[in-house]
Amino acid sequence: MAQTVYSAAGSDIAQSAPQVKPKRQPNGFPAVVPALVLIVLFFVVPITALLVRSVLDPKPGLGNYAQLLGSWTYARVFANTFEVAALVTILSVAIGFPVAWMLAIMPRRWGAVIFAILLLSMWTNLLARTYAWMVLLQRTGPINKLLIYLGLIDHPLAMVNDLTGVTIGMTYIMLPFIILPLQGVIKNIDPAILQAAALCGANRWKCLTRILIPLALPGVAAGALMVFVMSLGYFVTPALLGGTSNMMLAELIAQLVQSLVNWGLGGAAAFVLLIVTLAIYALQLRLFGAGRLSHGGQ
Amino acid sequence: MRKMIVAAAFAAALALTGAASAEEIVFTSWGGTTQDAQKAAWADAFTKKTGVKVLEDGPTDYGKIKAMVESGNVSWDVVDAEGDYAVQAGGNGMLEKLDFNVIDKSKLDPRFVTPYSVGSFYYSFVIACNADAVNGKCPKTWADLFDTKKFPGKRTFYKWSAPGVIEAALLADGVKPKDLYPLDLDRAFKKLDTIKNDIVWWGTGAQSQQLLASQEAPYGSFWNGRVDLLKRSGVNAVMSWDQNITAADELVVPKGTKHRDLAMKFIALATSAKPQAEMAAAAGYAPINKDSAALMDKSARAMLPEEHTATQVNADMNYWAAHRDEIAKRWYAWQTK
Repeated sequence: MAQTVYSAAGSDIAQSAPQVKPKRQPNGFPAVVPALVLIVLFFVVPITALLVRSVLDPKPGLGNYAQLLGSWTYARVFANTFEVAALVTILSVAIGFPVAWMLAIMPRRWGAVIFAILLLSMWTNLLARTYAWMVLLQRTGPINKLLIYLGLIDHPLAMVNDLTGVTIGMTYIMLPFIILPLQGVIKNIDPAILQAAALCGANRWKCLTRILIPLALPGVAAGALMVFVMSLGYFVTPALLGGTSNMMLAELIAQLVQSLVNWGLGGAAAFVLLIVTLAIYALQLRLFGAGRLSHGGQ
Repeated sequence: MRKMIVAAAFAAALALTGAASAEEIVFTSWGGTTQDAQKAAWADAFTKKTGVKVLEDGPTDYGKIKAMVESGNVSWDVVDAEGDYAVQAGGNGMLEKLDFNVIDKSKLDPRFVTPYSVGSFYYSFVIACNADAVNGKCPKTWADLFDTKKFPGKRTFYKWSAPGVIEAALLADGVKPKDLYPLDLDRAFKKLDTIKNDIVWWGTGAQSQQLLASQEAPYGSFWNGRVDLLKRSGVNAVMSWDQNITAADELVVPKGTKHRDLAMKFIALATSAKPQAEMAAAAGYAPINKDSAALMDKSARAMLPEEHTATQVNADMNYWAAHRDEIAKRWYAWQTK
C-alpha cells in the first residue's frame, strides 16, 4: 500500500516528506484492532483451548501425542496427507504456470473472459463442484463412457474413491489459488528483459528457463505454499472423492471429534497440523522473504 | 442512515436470539429426507398441539454434545443418535434419564428402550443390487456378497464403525446368528480382507443410493429404507432380506438441557403410534411403536423389517456400547491400511 502511494505521489512530494509523511503513512495500529480482536477471539482462544485439551483430556500428560505419533495408523494418515498435498501442489504449478503466463500476455479482453471463468469456478459452491467430479469420474460416468466409446479402454477406469479422484478434484479446486497470484507476478516482469535476452542470443527455451521462471519463482513459491497448506487441511473433497485407504488428516480429526468423541486426540492432531503449517510458512519466509511474498516478487 | 440500519438489524438479531429462550426447543437429527420426515410427522405436530416451536438443527455430532454438556451450555434438547452411542453416552453421564411417566413405554419395542433413550426408528441392513447392472444375477446372502468370484465388481458397505458390517462379515463366514456375540473381530477382519479391494464405502444414505443407482457399485449392504426409496424412484433395485441386520436410531436428551420437561413431551409425542407411522411411511424406516404398523397401508407395511423377522438378526446394542471405542480403533486402523 505504502509503495503505491509513493510511486503515485512522485519524487517531489517524497522530498517534502517531513510534514506529509504522518498523513501519508498513518500509524496503522487502530485500523487493525478489529481484525486482531476477531483473530484473538475466534482463532487464538479456541486453538489454545484445544491445545490445552490435548494435554488434559482424558488425563494430564502427553499421552495423546504419544498415541498420535506412535501409531502406524496415524502415521499413515499423516503420510497420505502430505502425499496428496504434494501431488496437488506439483500438478497445480505444472498446469497453472502456462495458464498464468497466457493470462499475462494475452489481449486484455480475452484475459477478462478467462478470468471470469476462473473466478466463476471459484465462486461456485464447493460441494456442488465436488459432486460434479464424482459424477464425471465414476465408472458409469461420461469420461469412462467416452473412453470406452472411442475404444481407448475396454473396462471402465477407477478414478474415484481413491487417490486419483482426490488428486483430480483438489487440483481443480486449487488451480485459481496458484494462477491468480502467479499471473500478477508474470505481468510485472518487464518484457524488455526478455527482449534483451533474445537480442543477446538466447533462444526461447533459454528465455523461459533463465529469465521467466527465475523471475516468476517468488510467485510460484507464494502460490505453491498457499495450495500446499490449504491442501493439508482439506476436508470435503477428500471425504467425498477419496477412499478410506487414503484418508487425510482433516477427516481423521473430524472423525475423532464427531463420532469417537475423543477431543483430546483430535486436538493433538489439529495442533500437530498447525505446527507443520507454521513450520512450512517459516521456511518459506526464510527462503523468499516476507516482502517478496506479499509484493508478488517486486 | 446506514448506522441506523445496522443498529436496527442488530436489535432485530438480539430480539431473535432472545426469543429462542422462550417457548422453543431444538431438535437435532441427521438432515436429509430423514429429518424432513421427522419434522413433518413430529415437530409440526408437536407445535400444533402445544404451541411450542421446534427449531431444527443438525447434523448430529457427538463431539458437540460432549462440549455442550461439559460447558453447561446445552442448546440441543432432543437429539436423534445411533443406538450404540445412546447406550454408551447414557453410561457416561452425557444424557438425561428419560421420564417414563410422560413417555409411555408400554407400546414401544423393548429392543430399543433404555433408561436414557427410546427408539427413534429402526432399520435393517439388507443386501441390495442393481439388477440392470448385472443382468439380474443378484447376491442373495451375505456369503454371496462376500464372494468376489461369483459376484465380481465393486460392492458398497457402510463406512463408519457401527453395527452392521462386522456382523455381515461374520455371517458370511458361516457364524450362526446366535453365536455372533461377543464379536470375533479377528475373524471378521480376516473375512473383510478378502474383499477389501472391491469395497466402495458409503458415508451417507444419499451416497449409498447414488452408488447403487449409478451402478458404480452394483451391489452392497444398505439401509432398507434407502433401497425402498430408490425402487420408488424407478431404479431396478432388488433387495434380499436374508439375515437382515437390525439397528436403531434413538432419541436422547443431552444432560443439562434447559427444556427437560418439553423434551420429554416431545419424545412422548414422537414415539406415539400415529407420528411413528407417518415418519416411517415417509422415510422408509420402521416404527418402534407396536401400534404403528396397523395405521400404515399395506404396501408401506410390506417394506418394513418386521415383515421379515424369520431370518432377522438383531445387532446387540449393549455389546456395541461396551466395545464401541475398541472396535472403532481397529475398524479405522484397518480401513486406512
